[in-house]
Amino acid sequence: MVQEEMICLLQILLFPGFLSLILVAFFYEWVDRKFVAKLQNRYGPLHTGPGGLLQPFADFVKLLSKEDITPRAADKLLFSAVPIFLLSLPLTALFCIPMASYSALTSFEGDLILVMFITILIVVSVFIGAWSSTSRFSTVGGIRAGLQMLSYEIPMTIAMVGPAIVAKSLCISEIVQWQTTGLWFIFTQPLGFAVASICLLAEIQRVPFDIPRAETEVVAGWLTEFSGRKLALLRLTEDLELVLAGSMLTSLYLGGPSGFGLAPPFLWFFIKLTACILLLSNLRALFARFRIDQLASGAWKYLTPLALLQIILIELISW
Amino acid sequence: MSPIFNIPFGPQHPALKESENFMFEVDGERVVDVTPRLGYVHRGIEKALEDRTYIQDMHLIERICGICSHAHTTCYSQAVEEGLEVEIPPRARYIRSIVAELERIHNHYLWLGLVAHEIGFETLFMYAWRDREVVMDLLELISGNRVNYAMNMIGGVRRDITPEISSRIRKGLKVLDERMKYYERICSSERTVLVRTRGVGVLKTSDAISLCAVGPTLRASNVKRDVRADDPYAAYDEIPFHIVTHDGCDVASRIVTRCEEVFESVRIIRYALEHLPTGPLEVLVPRTVPPAEIVSRVEAPRGENIHYLRSNGTDKPARYKVRAPTLANIPALCKMLIGGYIADIPITIAGIDPCFSCMDRLAFIDANTDRSWVWDGEQLRRYGFKWYKKR
Repeated sequence: MVQEEMICLLQILLFPGFLSLILVAFFYEWVDRKFVAKLQNRYGPLHTGPGGLLQPFADFVKLLSKEDITPRAADKLLFSAVPIFLLSLPLTALFCIPMASYSALTSFEGDLILVMFITILIVVSVFIGAWSSTSRFSTVGGIRAGLQMLSYEIPMTIAMVGPAIVAKSLCISEIVQWQTTGLWFIFTQPLGFAVASICLLAEIQRVPFDIPRAETEVVAGWLTEFSGRKLALLRLTEDLELVLAGSMLTSLYLGGPSGFGLAPPFLWFFIKLTACILLLSNLRALFARFRIDQLASGAWKYLTPLALLQIILIELISW
Repeated sequence: MSPIFNIPFGPQHPALKESENFMFEVDGERVVDVTPRLGYVHRGIEKALEDRTYIQDMHLIERICGICSHAHTTCYSQAVEEGLEVEIPPRARYIRSIVAELERIHNHYLWLGLVAHEIGFETLFMYAWRDREVVMDLLELISGNRVNYAMNMIGGVRRDITPEISSRIRKGLKVLDERMKYYERICSSERTVLVRTRGVGVLKTSDAISLCAVGPTLRASNVKRDVRADDPYAAYDEIPFHIVTHDGCDVASRIVTRCEEVFESVRIIRYALEHLPTGPLEVLVPRTVPPAEIVSRVEAPRGENIHYLRSNGTDKPARYKVRAPTLANIPALCKMLIGGYIADIPITIAGIDPCFSCMDRLAFIDANTDRSWVWDGEQLRRYGFKWYKKR
């Protein structure tokens, strides 16, 4: 009994829990930076570790040691709580995604809804963080983050319900298991995959949807006032969000850890995750930033109808 | 409570490469009003010029602007040469034009990268700045320097363009021409660029004329005005070229105008290299300039550059005044910004290709009445006394 609890604890703390998730997050920040740098004809991180592999970790440590300034006018409690709260959200969501085996650390009927709810909570916390820091740039950034959420949340939810309808389950692990027997959903629902990837790009606030923190417009947007440890945690949150976005695509559309041959399931999962993250980075290097009104009208005019069309197609085919 | 919210833009802001302050009144994402506050990088160059000899001044003039250093020195040497009533040799005139056009190419590449950065298109920014290295290498080859070329001297130019250098310039121009064609295609077909630039920062032709816009900003509002053609200097009276204009009146057409100006510059340089006259590079000139008042004009990459010189028969100028193109574009800029979105502020400001350290002199602009005036030190001092008495 004690042994079982020990294994459970190790799973939560080490693999596939906190430690490995954070390491994976750092690794994918490096992959993302290096890949975009190559696309832009630059080198990217070079000197810390082999090929700059340890650069994200070095940045994290450097930020931890830096001065932590709280603006005098800020709501001190909320301002300090938001980074911790924000960090816990994507970690929680990642626990519901099966990585090492076909069932996740925690899985229950309806955890897909929970993960979607968490993605909304992230934006709400961003807004609270922006509001509590009382800077003008933060406020504008926070408002933009809220507006952005109103644009992409609906099409993303509709698109992600697609796999759930076919698999007849709202549990991510079961959707993954369904795909081990059937065809991956990327082949049967390409439209849904496209809509979901675009919406996830908005969710993780990358170019062309880095509107809430457009450097040249509103300094660092909602991040402007955060510094030191708080900024370090927020940066880590971003990396985890990138992993979460990639994992969502992998589990819902690419069959999660399922694969063929002798390779263990987690290896397959990471191969697919890498492909998804490279896709997200690639899109990032191709475009200029949209304006918030353009994103809102684009999301409602094109993404939502496309997502609905995908649902209608699924219903027609299964009927 | 009024829904108006003030957002400061500068003096320190990531979108501004130099310090300048714009106070925006916004209603949600819309800009209702803008008040520019100039003078953060005022360096007192004009006063310093009066304390130095004409030869020393050349070095100071060169440092008014990092990018259009050649335009400023050309303007200055023209003024002094006119005061001295000397004609510079034809070869020197051609070399001045060649360097001026290379500088224009350099400036437009740099600007394209900045514009891409302002709209968040980092890849184009990296590419444009990589290709800018080609033209910077050419300038280094000619003059020995990458930015402050120090090519001009009173009475001619300092260095020659040998046949060997000229063939390397031709090779470099081929690359620059091809790359710019590619960027022009991207900027006029890539959707995300178009939605951010088309219809943004509109400056109607009538406004452009009445607010005295200059340079590519003016030409993108479909006004055919260019000092090179209207009041030819250097070798521009002998080199055929056409003035690029566009009728879009927005940031997109400013991009296309500048891209096409690069093609035009390439053609000008090719022609000038082909028809480079032989002869000496400079004439010897006296050190003192007889009393005169001279206005000299040059089409800098950013627009019309006006220098005013009053000499008093000594070897130092009695008064020197520089009107850089950015200053002329500020009233037009305010017009473009009002009614736009917050997100369009950086691209609109970048659209006029601002160079604040060129511009910051004792000049004042009232954004409400579009009135601008210039004060000398004494007037400013008196204004200061009055202002503090009121407090």
